[in-house]
Amino acid sequence: MKKKLTLFAAVALSLGATAASAGAVDELLQQYQTQGAGDFSAERGKQRWHEDHPDPEQPGKVRNCSSCHTNDFKAIGKHAKTGEEIDPLAPSVNKERLTDKKFIEKWLKRNCKWVIDRECTPQEKGDYLVFLRDQ
Amino acid sequence: MKTTDNSDRSAIIVWDLPTRVFHWLLVVGFALALITSDDSRYLYAHVYGGYLFAGLLAFRFIWGAVGSRYAKFRSFAYDWPSVTAYLKGLINGQASRYIGHNPAGSWAIFAMLLLGLLVVITGLVVLGGEERHGPLNGLISFKVGKGTKEIHELLAWSMFGLVVLHLCGVILESVFHKENLIWAMITGRKEAAAGTPGAAGHHLLGVTLLFVGAASALSYFHGYLVETADSPYRPFRGPQLPDNAVWREACGECHLAYHPNLLPARSWQLMMDEQAEHFGDDLGLDEETVKEVTDFLVKNAAEAGMTEAAWEMMESIGPDEKPLSIVETKYWKHEHKEISDAYWKSEKVRAKGNCAACHLDAKEGTFEDSSMRLPDLSKSERKP
Ligand code: HEC
Ligand code: HEC
Ligand code: HEC
Repeated sequence: MKKKLTLFAAVALSLGATAASAGAVDELLQQYQTQGAGDFSAERGKQRWHEDHPDPEQPGKVRNCSSCHTNDFKAIGKHAKTGEEIDPLAPSVNKERLTDKKFIEKWLKRNCKWVIDRECTPQEKGDYLVFLRDQ
Repeated sequence: MKTTDNSDRSAIIVWDLPTRVFHWLLVVGFALALITSDDSRYLYAHVYGGYLFAGLLAFRFIWGAVGSRYAKFRSFAYDWPSVTAYLKGLINGQASRYIGHNPAGSWAIFAMLLLGLLVVITGLVVLGGEERHGPLNGLISFKVGKGTKEIHELLAWSMFGLVVLHLCGVILESVFHKENLIWAMITGRKEAAAGTPGAAGHHLLGVTLLFVGAASALSYFHGYLVETADSPYRPFRGPQLPDNAVWREACGECHLAYHPNLLPARSWQLMMDEQAEHFGDDLGLDEETVKEVTDFLVKNAAEAGMTEAAWEMMESIGPDEKPLSIVETKYWKHEHKEISDAYWKSEKVRAKGNCAACHLDAKEGTFEDSSMRLPDLSKSERKP
């Protein structure tokens, strides 16, 4: 009986977690579409993720989203400039990821400015998110 | 105690065991303090050298009053004319041989004991004032602590000079009288004319002294023996500095949340006014967060003088300067000038601002001495 209960609790919890994460991302995607974005694509998100942009501070070098998060979403990242460790970005190993709209928006704004040197369009942001949520 | 008769000699105990243990432990304490004096990473060991030295001095002052025959201060309290007479004899090649200390040596010994006492006292003042540790913590200002440091160093180097003189004297006399005085300080024995009174050995007390010395080292340093890679030993604990959750969250995401005591209030004010252009980043913090963080930063800035680093920082920054970068300040550069480039470029450190790569207490913001360790570069650079 006890075993069943814990199993039930575990299932409920994990469902709850994915629901919350789906919730925040879904709400953002809807919001982006009202701002003029079309359909979102994980494939495009992946391309954008790996796209290189010139580094304004170090001529000849490039920046992309992996500069800090690395190419392994399940590994601990490292801030390219400050060396500070960054928890894994993949929601599959880090349950807190993509669960807070304000937090996601804040970081997309910062990181887009850092990598692309401008804020991302709603279309770009949505592509990133559908790509990331499957990691 | 002067012997001229060389005919019928036998070995007697001159230096009792406690005196010999005192002598060699004093050498250890002084040498330890000397070689650790130049680098704040080793301050903890330096302070141990000082405590050991102080404890031994205290013992010697008592033993000088109640100890065995040749250990008593009275037995080698020569007046100045005896010293000049002895030195004259030395120059003329006919210095008399003394069983205990000779007059010149005895003056050097009293001078070393006195100087040693002053070194210990000034050391405690520096420790209490500048580092905020030890028995005088809280009684002495940073300024007095810092000022006393120069006196402490001067006294310690004078002491070193005396040690060198003492050594020269020992060697000179050893050669002159063809007896190994260093060996005598180990065995305690010297040749003397028959009938010369020897000293009591006091072996039990000597062994106890040695044991107390070893036990003190063990208890002082045992933290290093039980530390693990995950919780390295931090010998000095600084004060608990003010904290704030909003600040930690807003300022601790891209880098260490640099404690406010590392920069003056005017710097923090400027940094928060310019938060949209923060080292190339737009922080984009909302008004409420900006206000709370700014208040916290300004209130606990370097002016509050909560740590040695805060005080030093204020001293090194001109009244009109508003540095935004900690690592560009004169004080920071001075403290880190001897660290080689290999560390800054390494994968483990990456940036000068990554204080936590070396300072175990970077998060707390105390930046205590002996709490910094350079990462082991040979084991790093394993790229994922
Ligand atoms: C300069 C370093 C850096 C770069 C480059 C970078 N990020 Fe980040 N990113 C961070 C940091 C730091 C966080 C906050 C992590 C934390 O709180 O653990 C973060 C958080 C995020 C989050 C929020 C995750 C969550 O917890 O909900 C998203 C989404 C994100 N980044 C996407 C991107 C995208 C897309 C790019 C490329 C445009 C990018 N990042 C490039 C440093 C960077
Ligand atoms: C979006 C990322 C980000 C956030 C959030 C952030 N910083 Fe920074 N900060 C940086 C970068 C990048 C640097 C430059 C690091 C370098 O050049 O090595 C920096 C540098 C600094 C420095 C200078 C450090 C040095 O190397 O001497 C201070 C001080 C500082 N930040 C304070 C703050 C405070 C206070 C906050 C909170 C209000 C904050 N930071 C939030 C990105 C950030
Ligand atoms: C590469 C390792 C490393 C990094 C990174 C580093 N430090 Fe240090 N720091 C040291 C070492 C080693 C010393 C001791 C130097 C000495 O005395 O010879 C030191 C000394 C200091 C001192 C003086 C301590 C004292 O009481 O004597 C302060 C303050 C300090 N560091 C602050 C900082 C701050 C703030 C940062 C980040 C902005 C930082 N350090 C980054 C290694 C580092």
